[in-house]
Amino acid sequence: MIEVRFFATLREGRGKVAQLSAEEVSCGGDILRRFSIQQEEVAILLINGFHSKPEDPIKDGDIVALFPPVGGG
Amino acid sequence: MPLSENQKQRYARQLCMPEIDITGQEKLLSSKVLIIGAGGLGSPAALYLAAAGVGTIGLADGDKVDLSNLQRQILHSTEKLGVKKVDSAAEQLESLNPDVHVIPYPRVLTEENISDLIADYDFVLECTDSFEAKYLINDACVRAKKPFCHGAVIRFFGQMLTYVPEAGPCYRCAFRHAPDEEKAPDAKKLGVIGAVPGVIGCLQALEAIKYLTGTGELLVGRFLSFDGRTMDFEIIELPRDPDCPACGKT
Ligand SMILES: [Zn+2]
Repeated sequence: MIEVRFFATLREGRGKVAQLSAEEVSCGGDILRRFSIQQEEVAILLINGFHSKPEDPIKDGDIVALFPPVGGG
Repeated sequence: MPLSENQKQRYARQLCMPEIDITGQEKLLSSKVLIIGAGGLGSPAALYLAAAGVGTIGLADGDKVDLSNLQRQILHSTEKLGVKKVDSAAEQLESLNPDVHVIPYPRVLTEENISDLIADYDFVLECTDSFEAKYLINDACVRAKKPFCHGAVIRFFGQMLTYVPEAGPCYRCAFRHAPDEEKAPDAKKLGVIGAVPGVIGCLQALEAIKYLTGTGELLVGRFLSFDGRTMDFEIIELPRDPDCPACGKT
């Protein structure tokens, strides 16, 4: 399984956490597509706590965290 | 200068704490904190720093008080509509605590003026509402080796990260690229509940007080994400980026 953790506005309509089977996705970009998230909606993509790019591979057991840009004050 | 009897009463609730005591209070009174943005985050941050007796508070904001601000910007009030935010704030803060010297900067920060502005201060609170300003402040603070605390909010959500030179990631380590301002979520369009910048602004004031008095653990390398709908406060460890264009080695 792959665990996807959403933060801030990315939680709206998606909840806090989702689980995917490793067969469903092979990279960060697949996860964004799977949840209808545009690339510009993601400010930080962490795979197992490390900064990653949408093209970086994902494997079984990985934890992916997605943060949107938040700029209000 | 020893604390007066009046000051001993005013600060009694924190003087009795071992983390503050007389030494910590004297540190606060001789400290200088710059708050950039006198809006939703800057309002509670400034009020709590003034109340705690931070001796010098610089406030930078180029805007005037607008009716749509008052839902969250609790430094200002209806009779201050149209007044420069920094002037409205200075009056409010000095009436809250005459120990505090407020220095207003009624201007927009630019690449040209920011370095001079931050130079005099011990700690900076980044309370702005634009990505452009957030990157400008980050890069200037990194260059000047100036610690600062970033805050941002939208709708029911808030976030924070504290930067201390050489100790952890900067804002650009966490958020490498500025988003397209057109496409990025905008609190003007998406909204914000006033109490949310209230929470985050208070926590920014707390980070400043902790830094100035050497108390506790700062949000250095620890990104705080707040969800006001569920009351989740989550801390995510964020590494420093060795290739960061602002603070990286290369
Ligand atoms: Zn950096």
